[in-house]
Amino acid sequence: MSRTIPHPVPQSGGGEDLSPPKIVILGIGNLLLSDEGIGVHVAHELMKMDLPPGVSVVEGGTDGFRLLNVIAGADRLIVVDAVRSGAAPGSVYRFDVNDVRSVPSGFMTSVHQVGILEVIELSDLIGKRPRATVIGVEPKSLEMRMELSPEVKEKIPKIIELVLEEIGRQL
Amino acid sequence: MAKRLVVDPITRIEGHLKIEVEIDKGKVVDAWSSGTMARGFEALLTGKDPRDAPYITSRFCGVCYSVHQLASSRALDAAFGANVPWGGNLIRNLVMGAEYIYDHVLHFYQLSALDYIDIMAVANYTGKDKELLAVKDKIVGLVKDKDTYPFTPRYEPDDFSVKDPEIVTTAVKHYIDALKMNAKARDMGAIWGGRTPHYQNIVVGGVTSYPDINQVFRFRTMLDAQKKFVEEVYIPDVLAFGTGPLWPLAEMGLGGGHYNYLSYGDFQLDPEGKKMVFPAGVITGLNPADIEVAPVDSEKITESVKYAWYKEEKPLHPYNGEQIFDLDKKGAYSFVKAPRYDGMPMEVGPLARMIISKNPDVLGLVKKGAKPGAVARHAARAVETKLVVDACYTWLDQLLSEMTKPGFKIQDAEHWDPPDSGMGASFSEPPRGALGHWVKVKDKKIENYQAIVPSTWNASPRDDKGARGQYEESLIGTPVPDPKNPNNIVRVIRSFDPCLACAVHIIDPDTNEIRKFIIE
Repeated sequence: MSRTIPHPVPQSGGGEDLSPPKIVILGIGNLLLSDEGIGVHVAHELMKMDLPPGVSVVEGGTDGFRLLNVIAGADRLIVVDAVRSGAAPGSVYRFDVNDVRSVPSGFMTSVHQVGILEVIELSDLIGKRPRATVIGVEPKSLEMRMELSPEVKEKIPKIIELVLEEIGRQL
Repeated sequence: MAKRLVVDPITRIEGHLKIEVEIDKGKVVDAWSSGTMARGFEALLTGKDPRDAPYITSRFCGVCYSVHQLASSRALDAAFGANVPWGGNLIRNLVMGAEYIYDHVLHFYQLSALDYIDIMAVANYTGKDKELLAVKDKIVGLVKDKDTYPFTPRYEPDDFSVKDPEIVTTAVKHYIDALKMNAKARDMGAIWGGRTPHYQNIVVGGVTSYPDINQVFRFRTMLDAQKKFVEEVYIPDVLAFGTGPLWPLAEMGLGGGHYNYLSYGDFQLDPEGKKMVFPAGVITGLNPADIEVAPVDSEKITESVKYAWYKEEKPLHPYNGEQIFDLDKKGAYSFVKAPRYDGMPMEVGPLARMIISKNPDVLGLVKKGAKPGAVARHAARAVETKLVVDACYTWLDQLLSEMTKPGFKIQDAEHWDPPDSGMGASFSEPPRGALGHWVKVKDKKIENYQAIVPSTWNASPRDDKGARGQYEESLIGTPVPDPKNPNNIVRVIRSFDPCLACAVHIIDPDTNEIRKFIIE
C-alpha cells in the first residue's frame, strides 16, 4: 500500500486556527503550586462549556512574555489569576488593568518578573493593546501541590459566573 | 577595604536569582550566586504514572515548558525501550527549532540589549528616517507620560553604553520589531503542538498527531520571515555591537569564568544521528589555540549540596538524587544544587556549544582577540540561531519525503505501556544549555525523578571542594567603578540568559491598594 501526499486544501486540517478570536479568556498560573494555579483550573472548566462564538479560552500557564501573541491578538481580554494583596483567602477581585499601576517602582525590587500586567503594556508597543479585565482570587496556599485549598476551590463557580458576565457585556 | 554589593533580583524575565559580590579597588574579588526560591518539583512525580511526567514536568517552568516535555518524553523513551520513528523525531526537532528562534531573539533584544545602550539618547535623534522618527516620538511620548516601562528602571549608563542617537534609535526600533517576530514565533511551535503555550503533542515514543502538508507549508512560510529577521537584523546587530562599541569588553574577556564547557549534543540531521546540529563534548580549561574536546560520559555527573539548603549528603548520582530541605544548614546560601562533571564546574549553553563544535564564526572572533565571555556569549547565541534556522529547512524537507513513504510513523505504539521496572535518562540541548532528566520506574510507577536544568550548571553555588560555580567565577575581576550602577555585573550574568524561576507568576502589586477591588 502506498501513501500519497494529501492535496493542499487551504481551510482544512493543519492543527487549529491560530488567529485567536476577539474575546480571549486567559487563565494564568502554575498548576504545581496549589492556589497559584487557580486561573488554569478555571480555564479547564471553561473549556468544557459551550461559549458564544468569538470567545476563546487560553490556558496561559506561567508564560509571561510568551503570551504576547495571545494578548496582541485579542480585542478584549479577561484574565483569571491569583492576586495577592493580603485580604482573606478566597477574596475575589475584579479590576480593569488600566486602574492598577503595574510599573515597577525601582530596579532592585522589580525587574524580576515580567508578569501578565507588564506583557499587556508591551502589547501596546507593537500596536495592539486589548481592553483587559482581571478577575482574581486571593490565594491561601502556594505550596507544592496540585490541589487547590478549599477556600479557593469553592470560589470557582463564582469566578465562572463573573467571567460569563464580562462576556455578556461584550455581546 | 572590600565592599559588599547585592544585586537582587537580576533577571529581566521571571527569575529568582541573587548575586552578591565583594568589590575591592573597583573590581569584583569574590562572588556568590543564590537561587532564592525553593524548587524540588520532582517530588510531585513520585508514585505517578510515568506517562504523566511530560505533562507535569512541562509545568516546571513557564518559559521552557516544551523543553521539559521533550526531555521527559526522551527519558521515558529510554526507560520504556521505545524507538522513536524518524518522523516523530523530525516533528520534535521542529518544535524545538521554533523554540530556539523565539528564545534567542527575545534574549538579545528584550532581555539584554538595554544593558548596552543609553535609551534616552533616542530623544537626540536628528535624522530623517520616518520609522526611526516614529520610534523617537513613541519613546519621547512615554517619557512625557512618565510611563517608560519596559525601558526603565535601569542603571545609569556607563562608559561602555552606546549613546549615539542613530544607533540607539535603530536598536529600539529593532527591539519593537523583535517583539513582533516573537509573537509570530510562538505560533510556529503551535503548528505542531496544537496550541500555545503548553504544547500537547510530545509523548513517550514520539508525537501524537500526524502532520499534513498544510502544516509543513505554513511552518516554512513563517520560518522564511524569521530567517530574514535573523540574517538581516539579529546577527548584524550582534556583530555590529560586539565588534564595535563593545569590542573593549570582548577583548577584556568580561565574564569568562572557568573556561570549562559541556554540551550533551542534540538534534539529529539524519535518522542514524551521524550528523548533529550540536555535537556532544566536554572541554576543560580551554586553550583557544588547541581546542581539545573529550567525549561526554554521563556517569561522571554528580550533584553536590554542601552550600545548598538541602540535607547534607555526599555528591549523588541524579538517579538517586533527592531533595530534603535543610533551611538551617550552616554555610548554605542557595536553593540551587551544584552539579559537577568529573568533579568540575561547567558552563553550558550557546558559547559551550559553539566552542565544542569549533564553530568557525565564533572561533574567528576569538582569533581576532575576543576572549570567550559575555560578548562572545551573545555572538554564539546569534550564530547558533542561524544554524537552527537552516536545520529547520532540512527537517521540513525530510518530513515531506518521510510523509510519502508507506508505513509513515510518528510514534512507537508498541511501547506505550510502562514497564514493570526500568530506568532511563535523557540528555538534551535546549536553548539555555545542557538539560538532563532521570527517571526510575518501579511497579509501573515513578520511583524517583530528577532534572538538572541548564541554569543549575551555570548558577550553581560552590561545591564540596569549595570551587565556585560558573556565574561566580565569571564575575571575578569584573570592573565595577560605581557600585550604585553595577552595569558590568548584570551584563555578565544576563549574557548567560539566566532562568531560575520555574514557578510563581502571581499578580503581586507593590501596594495593597488593590483591595479596593474586592467584590466578594
